[in-house]
Amino acid sequence: MKNNWIKRQRLTGYVFVAPNMIGVLVFFILPALFSLVLVFTNWQFGSQSMNFIGVKNITRLFKDPVFYISLKNTLIFLASVPISLMLAFIVAVVLNKSVYFKGLLRVLYFMPYITSGVATAFVWMLLFQPSQGPINGFLRSIGIENPPGWLATTTTSMFAIDIIWIWFMLGYFMIIYLAALQEVPAELQEAAKMDGAGTYKTIRHVMLPMVSPTTFMLLISGLIMTIKTFGIIQAITQGGPGNSTTILSLFVYKTAFSYYEMGYASTISWALFIIIVLITAVQWIGQKKWVHY
Amino acid sequence: MKSKKILTTVLAFAMVATLALGCSSKETDKSNEGEDQKKSVKLVFWGGVPADAGPQNVVDTWNKANPDVQVEYNRFVNDDEGNLKLDTALITNQAVDVYFSYNVPRLQKRVDAGTALNLKDFKDYDIEDKMGPSALDWKIGEDYYAIPTTKNVYMIWLNDNLLKEHNLAVPTAWTWSEMQEYANKLKTDKRYGLVQFLESYADPMDSILSQFGETKADGTSNLDHPGIATWLTTLNEMMGTGATAPLGEQLTSKMPVETMFLKGEAAMLNAGPYIFRSSNNLTENPREFKIAFAPVPRITEDPAEHKQRNGLGDGLTINPKSKHVDEAWAFSRWYADEGVMLMAAGGRVPSSKDVDREAAVKLMIEGVEDLYDVDSLQNVLFEQENTFTRKTPQQVLDLRREEYEKFFIGSQQLEQTINNMVKRHNDYLKQ
Repeated sequence: MKNNWIKRQRLTGYVFVAPNMIGVLVFFILPALFSLVLVFTNWQFGSQSMNFIGVKNITRLFKDPVFYISLKNTLIFLASVPISLMLAFIVAVVLNKSVYFKGLLRVLYFMPYITSGVATAFVWMLLFQPSQGPINGFLRSIGIENPPGWLATTTTSMFAIDIIWIWFMLGYFMIIYLAALQEVPAELQEAAKMDGAGTYKTIRHVMLPMVSPTTFMLLISGLIMTIKTFGIIQAITQGGPGNSTTILSLFVYKTAFSYYEMGYASTISWALFIIIVLITAVQWIGQKKWVHY
Repeated sequence: MKSKKILTTVLAFAMVATLALGCSSKETDKSNEGEDQKKSVKLVFWGGVPADAGPQNVVDTWNKANPDVQVEYNRFVNDDEGNLKLDTALITNQAVDVYFSYNVPRLQKRVDAGTALNLKDFKDYDIEDKMGPSALDWKIGEDYYAIPTTKNVYMIWLNDNLLKEHNLAVPTAWTWSEMQEYANKLKTDKRYGLVQFLESYADPMDSILSQFGETKADGTSNLDHPGIATWLTTLNEMMGTGATAPLGEQLTSKMPVETMFLKGEAAMLNAGPYIFRSSNNLTENPREFKIAFAPVPRITEDPAEHKQRNGLGDGLTINPKSKHVDEAWAFSRWYADEGVMLMAAGGRVPSSKDVDREAAVKLMIEGVEDLYDVDSLQNVLFEQENTFTRKTPQQVLDLRREEYEKFFIGSQQLEQTINNMVKRHNDYLKQ
């Protein structure tokens, strides 16, 4: 009797989770498995034939110079996350205190995050315009004769993209930090002050450790979001000039939807997935040393 | 409690009744639809040109004359995303009966995917006879899968007033170094001598390769042909002197080259006849200068070694899964010989020999004839021989572009650029 009741309970549970599980299975797990199969094929989107070619796509990936350029560019792009986190923390600390126009400043910092990415991309293109853009105009006015070419040169374009991305993420990180800072107990800060700690030491030894779980969460989610993004680069440079701003996700997009090479695109996607897993694993292991729960 | 029960029952009845009504009305619609379908067939026609630039006129004209076959136009943007949308619709059997393939590599992919109908069974239309020998470029294997309906003409648009000011004649044939001289004379601090669309940037390279082969006899890349180095050097010099826009500037500002030319901020523009859509619109692009036309210059000194990118385009393709293939064919045939004429005002040059070409030119510049040099237009539209249709795969276009971009923005030398292009092309050929 009791067994029947347990079975019924279990069945009810399965029925409740079934719609979600079917969704996950159909829209996530099966496509992921299909893409893994594609790694070993030369299937072109729409083509009626699919030939198994063994590990040819994988060896091609390791020989492909564009893969290494994209990997390097992805790492430069990822550097924007810790920089953005650092700046967001500083801004949050300032805005957490009594400053003039606190509310207005919070909204202003958050604005980029809720503004259309493509629209802001075009504004940044105008700002970075090498000969007539306002940024280089300002640099020339303060005596810099040869300001950087920003998006127009292969050496500076990825850094220009980093600046845009830092600006874009800053507001979101700042809001989360503000919430976290408000959870830091006031008595801890007061105790630190009574022990003679100045502003820097209070921030360094009280606030920073107290918000470290937030920093960890933002770092992981920020890195994953950054590694997967490509829309902003597609809108601004389409990966150019040359391939100086081609990151791995854009490389996948071009290979899949411009060249229709689904087998090779799946191979790059899985390489990207492995990189994300590795980065997350390293952070997860490393967090024991600096995250205080 | 009782009232709650009554309310629930009423609500349940209301829902069932609504559903039943919904179903019954749908069924009524379906039965009407069935009657309508008996009366007329509906074809869905996908193209990349905005409806108001000609296609709507085409469809309206056809629909008026053919009440039993009604055509609906559906626009897709002719870029990667737009073509992906079309290909997805074709593969998943969405409503596509007739569509345009704008270049041969894309058509090839559609043939491989089984989404382009082989036209060999339609014996009532001889594509080569109608469109001329250039149609051969559109053959996939031994057969045609699309009717190339337009002539792809690329030409140099010239500000005729500026040419006259500088005592320069309208060229009927010229080289890149001669165009460089023109650009140097016509440029000022606020005006470029020449501006170009990025799409046709590498046409000189393709011209060389179509004449001398994309690969050498041993099957390796021919991207180190001396003509390609000449083009790279000439254009780079022009960028250096301000005769043309530096590529870095053009890329980062998404330079509106068409508007710049029509505003007088550039003296020459390398583009196709699609510019007529803007240049005829004097309200949005007011101008007082006359426009003359010259053929795209050649890299080689010897005219016999030059090929012009003036092949055929706008390949009208039928979806083999269409339920109305015969009607789709009838529409395609009509479009190729007559309907395309209605696209002339939007800058499409009909390729069929059945089309009155002079009438097409008249339509192209109707109402603003005084602002064009018609003789030079006729010359570039119809007198060019030895042409090619670009068939280069997108991967090769991209790998070349990535390397020459680095050269033009000064981050790599000429020799390295050529070597990288050759190496990457060879790697591609080996795949």
